[in-house]
Amino acid sequence: MRYLMTTRPSDTAPDEKLYAEMGKFIEELTAAGVLLATGGLEPGGVLVRSAGDEITVTDGPFTEAKEAVAGFALVEVRSKEEAIEMARRFRRIVGDGESVVQQVFGP
Amino acid sequence: MPVLDTHRTVTAVWKLESAKIIAALMRMVHDVGLAEELAQDALVAALEQWPSTGVPDNPGAWLTTTAKRRAVDHIRRSQRLTHKQEQLAHGLEQQQAPENDDVLRLMLISCHPVLATEARTAMTLRLLGGLTAEEIARAFLVTATVITQRIAEAKRTLAEEGVPFDLPDGTELAERLSSVLEVIYLIFNEGYSATSGDDLMRPGLCLEALRLGRLLAELAPQEAEAHALVALMEIQASRSAARIGPSGEPVQLHEQNRGRWDQLLIRRGFAAMLRAREAGGPPGPYLLQAAIAVCHAQAPTAEDTDWAQIAALYGALVQLVPTPIVRLNRAVAHGMAYGPQDGLELVDSLTTDPTLRDYHLLPSVRGDLLARLGRHQEARLEFHRAASLTRNAAERAFLHRRADEIEVTSPSGPTLGRAARDFLNRDDLEAATIHSYGQTLRRLCLALGDELPLASLTADQVERVFATTWGETAARTWNRHRSTVRSFCAWASLSDLADGLDRRAETRTRAPVPAPAQLDALWSRPDLPLRERTLWRLLHESTAGVKAVLSLNIEDLDLDERRARTGRTWVTWRSETARLLPQLLAGRTRGPVFVSDRRPGPARTPAPADLCPDTGRRRLSYERAEYLFKETTKLLDPAANGYTLSRLKSLP
Repeated sequence: MRYLMTTRPSDTAPDEKLYAEMGKFIEELTAAGVLLATGGLEPGGVLVRSAGDEITVTDGPFTEAKEAVAGFALVEVRSKEEAIEMARRFRRIVGDGESVVQQVFGP
Repeated sequence: MPVLDTHRTVTAVWKLESAKIIAALMRMVHDVGLAEELAQDALVAALEQWPSTGVPDNPGAWLTTTAKRRAVDHIRRSQRLTHKQEQLAHGLEQQQAPENDDVLRLMLISCHPVLATEARTAMTLRLLGGLTAEEIARAFLVTATVITQRIAEAKRTLAEEGVPFDLPDGTELAERLSSVLEVIYLIFNEGYSATSGDDLMRPGLCLEALRLGRLLAELAPQEAEAHALVALMEIQASRSAARIGPSGEPVQLHEQNRGRWDQLLIRRGFAAMLRAREAGGPPGPYLLQAAIAVCHAQAPTAEDTDWAQIAALYGALVQLVPTPIVRLNRAVAHGMAYGPQDGLELVDSLTTDPTLRDYHLLPSVRGDLLARLGRHQEARLEFHRAASLTRNAAERAFLHRRADEIEVTSPSGPTLGRAARDFLNRDDLEAATIHSYGQTLRRLCLALGDELPLASLTADQVERVFATTWGETAARTWNRHRSTVRSFCAWASLSDLADGLDRRAETRTRAPVPAPAQLDALWSRPDLPLRERTLWRLLHESTAGVKAVLSLNIEDLDLDERRARTGRTWVTWRSETARLLPQLLAGRTRGPVFVSDRRPGPARTPAPADLCPDTGRRRLSYERAEYLFKETTKLLDPAANGYTLSRLKSLP
């Protein structure tokens, strides 16, 4: 099963050590085939909203920055608990903050 | 509601970590079985403690530390320790050997050639995948007891054979790795095309095989075939969703909705393929198969498939792996590249191969090619025949549907299947005759198809079935099947279809007898196990029947008079047996004289009279005894078949 882990932005700035640890973590998970895709997201982005026939496009940044997503990882695991364990390892590396783990259905 | 179920968390972490933990412990205690037990102890400890203490911050490290501590405790307990050994034990705990080598070693041992294939898969899923016996059993549709026994037996075999723990190198490493690759691909295929049961796929197994493959590729990055296997599996797995239709039926590659192919996995497959090419070396079987999979994955539509390239790759593959199945796939590719007639000619060269006799894909492929050639009647027959051969329910339904989709003017007159049933249902046949006739006709129907119009049955077809099925059998068997066909033809008022079949001369050729000199060579072999030596000597000296000798109990023996009572007569022997028997009995006073090496598994309960009341071992069976003699005498027999036990008594 696949899970998407999204991470909220945090205030702590990443340092050398974090980069190194994260690089190793990503490499390990990729080799094991657990990590299918990962990436960081630009703050804000573009909002596309539809209402009736009308579609409006708005440029960020937006006020609810705390709810935004700063990064994601798509993992393939055998159970929800394994996905949580991956998130746990990730959080241990990045320090204070929040991540959300959701199962992905399809393709 | 708590999000985390502690028990499930423990098992999830266990699945992720168990291979590394067991591998590290194996290095410490040098015994796979013991390493796994100690690791299991750590799992049990976690299951006991975590519900009250909470899940530790780093659960994987907790399990590893706890398991290693158990191993050190074990080493301390099992040795009377000097101070130096104490330090050694401490050192072991601290030692950080390359983890990768440990896991690779565990993989090689789980797939060791001394183990049967089934044992290798069970051991690999258990030790490397962290699966429980129940999970493995569910995947292979057997009971958990079967798996537990298989694993226990495998561990015992490894211990008994004294399989070394060192990493082999050079050619031996390559050979051992190829056994691992084989096991992984076997697991994948069992998941990808479930050979039995109702589901076409068991995705859990595919995923497990993929994980194992990726793990191996990481542990042995220099091995091109490991990367190639990963590429092959990734690309095959990318089609999982597309290859099963809405009601569970298989969708063939050229009819799949390519939009449903998982591009992520395809990309991973391509990447693995690049790594395989970088590793270099001549292309191996997995690389060629992966290259074929890449060809399919690169074609935007089925029509764009580069069949000529695929046919060429199969041509190379057939050189390395000339199995009938590869040849069949090559025929399919040729049919696509150069037209159905080309393909059909290649397929027809396979129809006499006995190994493909019951392989459903052969008639299925033939049906496909025949349909494309407009030979509808024959195509339909082949699809029905394929359906009767497959063990998978979804596939069977699909094949019947394919047959029914073909428009044919319904043949007049009865079919082979119908006629065979009527022939066997007559009142004037005895049960034994029906049984014998039934064997012949069932095989004919399977080979030619139930739906074959009786009127179109030819002597050529019958001859071909006979050659493939009974070509190698004894003359009597051949003649029995032949006379069935003759009676059947007479009954159905057909011309004699056994025309092309010669009656074979039934010279009662006795099984070959070993020459006395060979027997001397046998006795002088130093490595004969005591039981076999005694049994064979006794048979030779007593000239008694094999059954009578195997049924002897210790209570029947009169060692002083060199004789034993069997029924109303006596079995008597001479000096050699007299010398060996006391050694064999080794103090046993009752029960069977000749007992098997092992105690029977719980699933088998022999009669109490066939069990040794002291050791619980069962009486040695005729089959086993015969097998052992044949195996041993293969070297003596010029025909290399080995001799039967009953031959021993007819020697001077």
